[in-house]
Amino acid sequence: MTLTWIASLLLCLSALPAAAEAVRSHSPVTETIDLAQAKMVKIWGAGGYRGMEAYQSGMLISPDGHILTVWSYVLDTDYITTILGDGRKFEAKLLGADPRLELAVLKIEAEELPHFELEKAAELNAGTRVLAFSNLFGVATGNEPTSVQHGVVSVVTTLKARRGVFETPYNGPVYVIDAATNNPGAAGGALLTRQGRLAGMLGKELRNSLSNTWLNYAMPVGELRKSIDQIRTGKFIARENDDAQDKPEEPLKLAMLGILMIPDVLQRTPPYVDHVDSGSAAAEAGVKPDDLVLMINDRLIQSCKTLDGELEFIDREDSVKLTVLRGPELLEFTLRAAR
Amino acid sequence: MSNNQRAWKLSHVILTVAVLLPGLAPAAEDIELLEQQAFQAAVERVAPSVVAIETVGGLEKVGKMLIGTGPTTGLIVDQDGYIVSSAFNFINKPASILVRLADGQRKPAELVASDRNRMLVLLKIPVDKPLPVPEIAPHGEMRVGQWTLAVGRTFEGDQPNVAVGILSAVNRVWGKAIQTDAAVSPSNYGGPLIDISGRVMGVLAPLSPKSANEMAGVEWYDSGIGMAVPADHLLKILPRLKKGEDLHTGLMGIAFASRNLATADAVIGACPPNSPSYGAGFRAKDKIIEIDGAKIARAAQVKEETSRRYAGQSILVAVMRGDKRIEHKLTLVAKLKPYQRPTLGIVPMRPLRSPPKPQPKPKKVEKKADEKPAKPSDAKPKETTAAEPEKPKKAKPVAKKPEPVAVRFVCPGGPAEKAGVKPGDQVVSLDGEPIKSIAALRAKVGQYLPGEELPLEVKRGSKTIKLTVKLATMPEDIPSGDLPTAHAPGKPIKDKLPAVGSVPLKLEKHENEVHAYVPANYNPTIPYGVVVWLHGEGGVDHAKLIASWKPHCDRHELILLVPKSADPAKWADDDPKMIGAAVRKLASTYAVDVARVAVCGQGDGGKLAYQLAFNPRSSIAAVATIATPQQPGKAPDTNPRRRLAIYIATAGKESELSRIDRAVAELREMKHPVIVKRLGETPRDLTPAETAELARWFDTLDRI
Repeated sequence: MTLTWIASLLLCLSALPAAAEAVRSHSPVTETIDLAQAKMVKIWGAGGYRGMEAYQSGMLISPDGHILTVWSYVLDTDYITTILGDGRKFEAKLLGADPRLELAVLKIEAEELPHFELEKAAELNAGTRVLAFSNLFGVATGNEPTSVQHGVVSVVTTLKARRGVFETPYNGPVYVIDAATNNPGAAGGALLTRQGRLAGMLGKELRNSLSNTWLNYAMPVGELRKSIDQIRTGKFIARENDDAQDKPEEPLKLAMLGILMIPDVLQRTPPYVDHVDSGSAAAEAGVKPDDLVLMINDRLIQSCKTLDGELEFIDREDSVKLTVLRGPELLEFTLRAAR
Repeated sequence: MSNNQRAWKLSHVILTVAVLLPGLAPAAEDIELLEQQAFQAAVERVAPSVVAIETVGGLEKVGKMLIGTGPTTGLIVDQDGYIVSSAFNFINKPASILVRLADGQRKPAELVASDRNRMLVLLKIPVDKPLPVPEIAPHGEMRVGQWTLAVGRTFEGDQPNVAVGILSAVNRVWGKAIQTDAAVSPSNYGGPLIDISGRVMGVLAPLSPKSANEMAGVEWYDSGIGMAVPADHLLKILPRLKKGEDLHTGLMGIAFASRNLATADAVIGACPPNSPSYGAGFRAKDKIIEIDGAKIARAAQVKEETSRRYAGQSILVAVMRGDKRIEHKLTLVAKLKPYQRPTLGIVPMRPLRSPPKPQPKPKKVEKKADEKPAKPSDAKPKETTAAEPEKPKKAKPVAKKPEPVAVRFVCPGGPAEKAGVKPGDQVVSLDGEPIKSIAALRAKVGQYLPGEELPLEVKRGSKTIKLTVKLATMPEDIPSGDLPTAHAPGKPIKDKLPAVGSVPLKLEKHENEVHAYVPANYNPTIPYGVVVWLHGEGGVDHAKLIASWKPHCDRHELILLVPKSADPAKWADDDPKMIGAAVRKLASTYAVDVARVAVCGQGDGGKLAYQLAFNPRSSIAAVATIATPQQPGKAPDTNPRRRLAIYIATAGKESELSRIDRAVAELREMKHPVIVKRLGETPRDLTPAETAELARWFDTLDRI
């Protein structure tokens, strides 16, 4: 890949020898990069053993030394060192963190710093070309500027949609990026448009358990702003992961609907109905043995295990929508447990 | 994340920095924006044809790889509901497949057919209205360096996901794929690779030149090496897939003479009779020089030419045989037919061995206190199973003299008898090739198909007689008639002989009790066959067993080896190793013909016998089971290099034996010769007559 790129670049340059010089000095992207590098911060803190890197990335978000980064073990120390784009080194203080969004704000004692303006952040669509700035793998040593990568926004999606897919408390929208941006040390880095507008903050390394691939993504600034403002104004109250609070005290059980599933014997037992009690809600609605349960309340069910997990989120008082496959037919039933 | 992948990611970084340096002239910003708009428009154009595929049930792991449960991608290729996707998306063998169309509608899908060569599958969903079919980019317009976009539909929400890159190559994995540097992974396998106008260039799939399995190429995900099967090819195979026809890689069925395919000439090393190449008329030593007009200079090119072709396709192959050019058309197959060994219907005389030389005395100066005198078989104590008894190292680097192949016995009704071969004849040549040893004759016969007629030259007394023999299939019987002695009288031996009669064997690493019966008239110049007796539940009284086998061993020059399991009730998991050690121990002391080692299991011992003999790496020549309740397991494919004869004496009610009969039918389908005897309803030992017959069978294992 490197070779093809370089080859195509050389081709391009040799075809336009006179233009090359002009291109190099006038490129809007190089200007964007120069301006952005001045606002990037390399952060060192705790870690450094067992594959836990002791560094991450951050960005200046105020002229007087506020730094936005991710909340992680790296910050779990009294000695947080930051190096600014101009090479100056500062000890930083942890101002506050929002564990739900996995963000943290640091403060250094300095003034008149170049910085990103959160209120001017860009919102991106799929296909938008982007630049990512971070100290991934710690390749930028000493006062070297952060590494720059390019790519496009692959898709704007949300991490919340399915429980247990991504191991992160953050479950808002994300920009998925088609370049390998999220690597050790990259978290806290900046995602910019090619015009230099801040759009998001690179998140921690995350594995997509749906496809068993690494996810490259950034959290949109818009999602983070409220929390950042609260930390800066000292009003912040840490919120807990509220996923568990979604669970009702008395969840629904399929037996209440008159449905008995086949025994869960495999890693992924296909959720087939084994038996329907006569006279039950399920029998009246028309659920039959051998129906394959595909969805509950429009959430895809892939095995008996995920079916049980999903039921924990449904109150027994509520009605429930069941989508089943019977032969080639998709059927929907709305059921409510008998009282 | 693997180091490898990290390295890839790093190279990506370095490169991206490099790429950013030259933007474009003053209007660069506009061009960038225009490109961005074009990306978005292209994705929008193809998006209605890109579907998400969800699966229900299925395996959690394939091999060592955890399989994602997440949605994968498919591409509509026909308005009537046909959707193509990557085979990778279905390796977990899901119980049910659902397709989510771009408008959110879910439809149950059935798998119509798959292309095992390009690793694609075709799905069909019911439709009530025509589905949107994407436009195809003409293959001829592809230029390396052009923009390519990899599109999937695997993330939450109603939008497809896109990755942008350039076309890296148009001719990859032997011409099966085009290559892109856009990020390709399970998040877009099965989706389209499109050009900047939104036209489909190919279907993304993990493909690798290194391996042909479903997982190959996945290791390159998001690395900058992404593969897609070109759309024009897809259109070509679509009609066949729609008919439900599975497509397979075409095989010629040859092996090359050299292992180094990249540099060696394409000389055929082996061309088994069950291969399409043999059927077309090619033979070992032919040098392939052309396939369908394409010049072949190296062996690897043959693979390149065939790897992208399907079974059923015919190719025109030109070879040089000596200095003659030969051209034949051959039809590639998906799977080779089972190899059926032909037979000449003779049992050859066995040449005598040179008497063993007295072992040189170890020099005292070099000997350390704890060192044992080195015996050939102790030199390298490999942990092997009985399946592969180590050949006793021959301490004679003397040039091999040709051993004339004399006929010991002519099988009644066999090809040799019909051709007029008589006991005592010497085989001079077969099909024009001079025969210099038994192994050479066996290998030569193995190169033909049953039914082929070959000129055979034999020497009878001082006369050379030209005959024509029509090879037959190996008969499933024990040759009747009296077997004469297998060799010339043994040479008298002056040296002291090892113990004969019933002898205990002491194994170094195993505690098991092992006994052997060595014929009383043992002569080390005679090669002995070995019968390993595996007792059934309850163990064995070795003295009684040896008494019943003694006359047969003496007569047929067999050594009976009787290992015992530590627990008489059952054989232990590592007993195959113990048996291997016992055979090696025997061969280190006695003149054993390693090509005539047979295992014989009684009752439950038969299960272990099958296990030992059916090991694909085993060289055991025969397996016999007596009243074994278990059915034979999976036998290895037949091949010209290994002979395996099977004898099964069953006991039980007819209804109980049906499972065994089915297994026997399977073995016969695979072209293994199987002899089946019924012992009656109650399991019992063999009668003396049956034992005699079995011993005679063991004595004819080297028939050709």
